[in-house]
Amino acid sequence: MIRILAVLVVALSASPWSARAAAEPEVTVTLSATPSEAQVGDRVRLEVRVRARGGNIEDLRLNDLKKHLELEIVSHQTMRPMQFSFGFGSGVQKESSIANIYVLRPGAAGTYEFSPAVAKVDGKIYRSEPLTLVIRPSASDARDPSNPASAPGADLSGARYDPRAFLRTVVEPTEVYLGQQVNITVYLYTRIRLAPQSVVPSKPSMDGFWVHEDPITSLQFETVSVKGQQYRAYPIQRSAAFAQRSGELTIGPPKIAFDAGTGNFFDAPQRIERVGVPVAVRVKPLPPPVPLNAVVGNYAIDARLDRRTVKTGDAVTLRVNAGGVGNVNDLRIDLPPIAGVRTLQPAIRDQQRLTNGQLSGTRSWEWILIAESPGEHHVPPIELHFFDPDTETYQSARTPALSFSATGAAKAPEPTIQAVDAPPKPSTATFGPIRVYSALTRDQTPVRDRGWFAWLLALPPALFVLLWLGAAVSRRRERRGTTAGAVQRKLLREAESALQADDPRTFYDRIVASITHALDARLDESVAGLPHTQLLERLSAEGFDDDLNQRLINELEGADFARFAASGVNRDEMERCLKRTSAIIERIQRSASAS
Amino acid sequence: MRVSFIAFVLIVAPLLGCATASAQQAPRTTEGSSLTKIFESANVAASRGDHATAIASYVKLIESGVHDPDVYFNLGTSFAQSGDYPRAILNYERALVLRPNESKATENLRDAEKALEEERAELEGEATIQRSSSISDAAYGTVSEDALAYAMLIANLVFFAALASVSIGRRRHRWIYALLLASGALLLISALGLATKAGLLRDGPRVVTLEDRLVLREGPDPRAQLRGEARGGDRGELVDRDRDFVKLRMVSGLEGWTRASGVGLIDSDHGRH
Repeated sequence: MIRILAVLVVALSASPWSARAAAEPEVTVTLSATPSEAQVGDRVRLEVRVRARGGNIEDLRLNDLKKHLELEIVSHQTMRPMQFSFGFGSGVQKESSIANIYVLRPGAAGTYEFSPAVAKVDGKIYRSEPLTLVIRPSASDARDPSNPASAPGADLSGARYDPRAFLRTVVEPTEVYLGQQVNITVYLYTRIRLAPQSVVPSKPSMDGFWVHEDPITSLQFETVSVKGQQYRAYPIQRSAAFAQRSGELTIGPPKIAFDAGTGNFFDAPQRIERVGVPVAVRVKPLPPPVPLNAVVGNYAIDARLDRRTVKTGDAVTLRVNAGGVGNVNDLRIDLPPIAGVRTLQPAIRDQQRLTNGQLSGTRSWEWILIAESPGEHHVPPIELHFFDPDTETYQSARTPALSFSATGAAKAPEPTIQAVDAPPKPSTATFGPIRVYSALTRDQTPVRDRGWFAWLLALPPALFVLLWLGAAVSRRRERRGTTAGAVQRKLLREAESALQADDPRTFYDRIVASITHALDARLDESVAGLPHTQLLERLSAEGFDDDLNQRLINELEGADFARFAASGVNRDEMERCLKRTSAIIERIQRSASAS
Repeated sequence: MRVSFIAFVLIVAPLLGCATASAQQAPRTTEGSSLTKIFESANVAASRGDHATAIASYVKLIESGVHDPDVYFNLGTSFAQSGDYPRAILNYERALVLRPNESKATENLRDAEKALEEERAELEGEATIQRSSSISDAAYGTVSEDALAYAMLIANLVFFAALASVSIGRRRHRWIYALLLASGALLLISALGLATKAGLLRDGPRVVTLEDRLVLREGPDPRAQLRGEARGGDRGELVDRDRDFVKLRMVSGLEGWTRASGVGLIDSDHGRH
């Protein structure tokens, strides 16, 4: 009993400690690289680890790995060991850890800074120390920065430089003779990691060339130095091309698309596309005099007959093999006619191979020679001319003279080659009947090409524009005339109506308004409020003649007077006043036109 | 009054000009006795079944500058009756360029294609003739280029007359707006049709391959690398020339260089083979 109580006391006394331990886990986050200094191409082990005693690890991140695309991830391993501890005092304790181990291969020299790795344990963030990884140039690069041994080299001809990745077309040589081999290699220079399976190259156009492709089955690279930076140069396209015509031929710009990324499942790849530049190749004609069917290369030729004796009417096979360096597709051989022998079209077979960037091959001709008459038949030597671009000389190779004998009487030749195609069956379609009448129209210029078509097409819009402009000008003038003239006419009509109605007050009111309006329109300002003396000065200043001025003032004064003494005005005087006013307004308007 | 004047200026005056110009540029037809005799002798030869003589005479007419749909029709028929279907197709196509809505030429063209397919299927098991099937060709196939040009001129006149009436005239009837819309649409359609017919929407003049298994190569040289083969009667476009070689883009998308003698041009603007 005493023993049980003791255990309970100990357990109760330990429980606060265990609760505190659960609330505050012990967490350690580490970020390390082994070695921390390395050379380009070396392997570096980068380890990110979090250890938590008494807590749950929720996350562990190293964000900067995405940033350094020059560091290729060779392998990635995640370890999650977990450990439980049992004991009095601290109760059950869980110790867990996560470790991400990356094996990196640096592609470029430099100092790579890693910000602290971040771990999340029970919702709380913990960080490691930052890390600096120093990568030095490799020993070979350090000795020779320009790296002349590598094929791509530091020369950037045929490339559009880009600090991250670019394409370069290397053409060797850039000046050739017609039919001479040109080696074309397209390189991808890159400082960033690429996913090999995502590389999609596009072949450059090579119009004017006969091309033999040298397929690249796996991406291999060599490290080269360009502008002080280390690049990986991947050959992505390799061809042996033979110019088919002289002049300047252009090899089109190559294209490529590939994914760049960390290689990590959780990181989205970045699609990168690049286009190269076109490269010109100058193709010279072969130097004259050019022997018959001369080609570029170096060839040997031999010939043999499959038998030396045949019955007359039977066939022998003449096989000629020409082999050597060059494009055997260009080889042409003409077998001269042989008396007493019928020669069928030859069967031609080619074999080609690309060895160390040099195309070579064999072309075989097989002639069927049918002896149509008995006796000894001689096959003349066959000569092949070729041009060596290195020495710029023509050389020749020839077969030995061959002969065979035909025995027995001549017989009617049997067709050696049967017609392959059966004669076409007559079609069931009926064509025709033919046209008996025709206008026999001559070649006509289409309406669209006749000279008047364009003019007629342009005429309506041109007329429209002219009419529209004319209408706009006319409307503007009309508008101006309407505002002045129409009001003027309206006022005089009202005066006339007042005259007919025997209403002197209204009549003279309209007479004054009419004259005032005419002056307003003429002077572009209102003269309604001006005393007559000032009005006279204004009119004189405007250039009105004195007679008109005097008449105008008199008429206004008379009208003003008559408006207020309407009973003393008779109809005749009103009619005269209307005529005088019309005359005055006409003179005002004329003066306006003259000015 | 004003609207009438505008209509007169915009419609009647250009139409008068058009009529005058047409009268001046009226197509010259030749009824010369020599050409007629050649045509008649060709017809006699064709009716006797002497297709070689008939073809030679029709070709002579064409080389003499005759550019007539009936002559092309007869030439196509002579080729078809002699079993040369690719050349028959070419000449029926030419006849249809000059007189697009002719049903007999269309029917004979389909018959020639069918006969070629049957002949090829007999030998090879299956066969297909590659034809052009663009929407624009289908839409404007039955309208001649000149008809479209005249339609464009008239639509142009009416459109601008209606536009002038709307923007300048004082009275604006509803039917003028309808006329404006209708003529604008016709102007657009005819301009598009004319561009199609004139080949502005194509990369080059249309061609028919005359030889079966016409080899298309990488470059204009008989030694250039092989890209593929076109079959006789297939349609394509001529996109480039280099000496005696032409670069073709076939309806199937195949593109390459071949000898000019192996193809025939359908469209007249670019000469004939």
